Amino acid sequence: MKKRQLLDMYRKMVEIRKFDAVCVNLKRKDLILDGFHSYEGQEAVAVGVLSHLGADDYVLSSHRPQGHALAKKSDPGKVLAEMMGRLGGVGRGRGGPMTFSDWENHFITTTTVGSGVPIATGIGFALQTRRKRGVVVSIFGDGAANTGACHEGINLGSVWRLPMIFVCENNLYGEALPFSKSTATEHISERAKGYGIEGITVDGNDVLAVFETAGRFIEKARNGEGPSLLEVITYRIRGHYEGDPQNYRTREEVNTWRKKCPIVRFRKYLLEKASCTEDELIVIDQEVESTIQKAREWALDQPIPTLKQMIDAKRITA
Amino acid sequence: MTNKIKREITYTEALGEALSEEMRRNDEVIVMGIDVGVWGNLYGVTKGLLEEFGESRVKDTPISEAAIAGCGIGAALLGMRPVIEIMYIDFISIAMDQIVNHAAKFSYLTAGKAKVPLVIRTQGGVGLRNACQHSQSFESWFVNVPGLVVVMPSTPYDAKGLLKSAIRDDRPVVFIEHKKLYRIRGSVPEEEYLIPLGKSFIKHKGSDVTIVATSWMVSKALEAAEILSREGIEAEVIDPCTLAPLDTEPILSSVHKTGKCAVVHEAPKTGGWGGEVVSVIMEYAFDYLDAPVKRIAGLDTQIPYGKETELQVVPDTEKIVKGVKELVS
Repeated sequence: MKKRQLLDMYRKMVEIRKFDAVCVNLKRKDLILDGFHSYEGQEAVAVGVLSHLGADDYVLSSHRPQGHALAKKSDPGKVLAEMMGRLGGVGRGRGGPMTFSDWENHFITTTTVGSGVPIATGIGFALQTRRKRGVVVSIFGDGAANTGACHEGINLGSVWRLPMIFVCENNLYGEALPFSKSTATEHISERAKGYGIEGITVDGNDVLAVFETAGRFIEKARNGEGPSLLEVITYRIRGHYEGDPQNYRTREEVNTWRKKCPIVRFRKYLLEKASCTEDELIVIDQEVESTIQKAREWALDQPIPTLKQMIDAKRITA
Repeated sequence: MTNKIKREITYTEALGEALSEEMRRNDEVIVMGIDVGVWGNLYGVTKGLLEEFGESRVKDTPISEAAIAGCGIGAALLGMRPVIEIMYIDFISIAMDQIVNHAAKFSYLTAGKAKVPLVIRTQGGVGLRNACQHSQSFESWFVNVPGLVVVMPSTPYDAKGLLKSAIRDDRPVVFIEHKKLYRIRGSVPEEEYLIPLGKSFIKHKGSDVTIVATSWMVSKALEAAEILSREGIEAEVIDPCTLAPLDTEPILSSVHKTGKCAVVHEAPKTGGWGGEVVSVIMEYAFDYLDAPVKRIAGLDTQIPYGKETELQVVPDTEKIVKGVKELVS
């Protein structure tokens, strides 16, 4: 891989991390309201998978969408404004931190867990019928993997060999329930066999490993070879939500995963294996910091919509 | 010049014509559901579509209602006009999340940038001895969800004109047919026509009492109106066709004139759509009322299995006549 591309991926991971920290801060100040779920620690998944996508491709995400949105190249200012319920947001502030869609960027979230999978399948169907080269990435969590909708959507996408990939972002907890208590198989990817598609589990904190397998699966989808199931194992560093008592896991466990930080790990790789210099990376860190601060200021400047701007009066009967 | 002979076709054929005409008119119209292709749907509604339009536009799906609905939404988001089928309205519970939380929300959430021009065809009601998980009437579930249009056609003419409009509408439409209506015949013109959504229609004029009825109950209400007329009671029968958003004007004007109203539907009385009509009348025509608005509705029960018993728990002509007489006495 070219150094330029590696640095772009690094930049995006840092952007997602810094963006998340800004969100946590705005949540504390009650400027982001409820429904915010931190993405800290999972950046390698968003970047590893979604760096492959272009404007003609689609993403179906869920209630922890901000990292995915930035990796799909949504504008950080507009996403942040949306998360704060501002008029300048991608959905004019109607959806908030977990329920936003950036339709112009072909990015959708749904927040009834598992529900996005069949919708992704429908988008895949439309792309196939219209013989477009676009693909759909359906990203869902380990919790969603056990819903009926998820199963129905993967099965239908597989039967019709649609141009899509299914990504199970397994962060080891569905809210407070550990993966081992929700799922009897060791890996979600084993289920691929039951759908007649290829399934692989990769280390979700290794951005290059995610990038490589996701790239192969997306290429298959583009070439008409149908969907695949990629499971990425990662870890949700913060609680499910801000203020989560986290009585379901130990501090030691969290600390162990903190040491596996995907950004620190990729940074090390860039310095040791990709002939990048500390200075280059520091410049990127600073540039991203400035981008995110500008996005934050822009978002904070956006007005809070009135009720009239929030609802469509034409649809309300007298 | 010969007089044009009025053509009579069945409700099933009328729906089939609406689908094939719209599919010819617009390549983006596709049909998707359980056994809509090779079988041509349980009642024959989609018969012939697979042969004419091929497998890419007439999709047989697995028994996966959530996937059918979700797939319809996804395709609609990209500008297709899917007509998905949920074989029995009872099974729509499996697709409920997709319809209520997603189909009804995307246009809102994107401030109108995304649209979901989806038609969800399904059928409800008693009449085919199918017991309590294949015979229900769930229209009121959808009426309470802003963002959805709810249509219940009662004749072949309405079925065709309303389905064509539903397919051309940019909003998600829940289109509820009735299993007892598929074989009834009615006059349907050869030439193309549309019936607008969101409009209530007077099906029989009268000045003594207003009957608002839906779906299969419209024909029962019309029969009741005939019987009542022989006894000197002139009933005005209104068919809303679109339950949400409801065109209240014809109902309120009629009540202004008659001062009495009965609402007839097959769904259980408690929490049924009739309560909404009653409320609208109470809110906007209270001063014109000579008697409390009456609900003639299904019993609050599971639908029993049996030739006669399933019919006994929903209104029929006799019950409507009796109810209206109580109202005007």
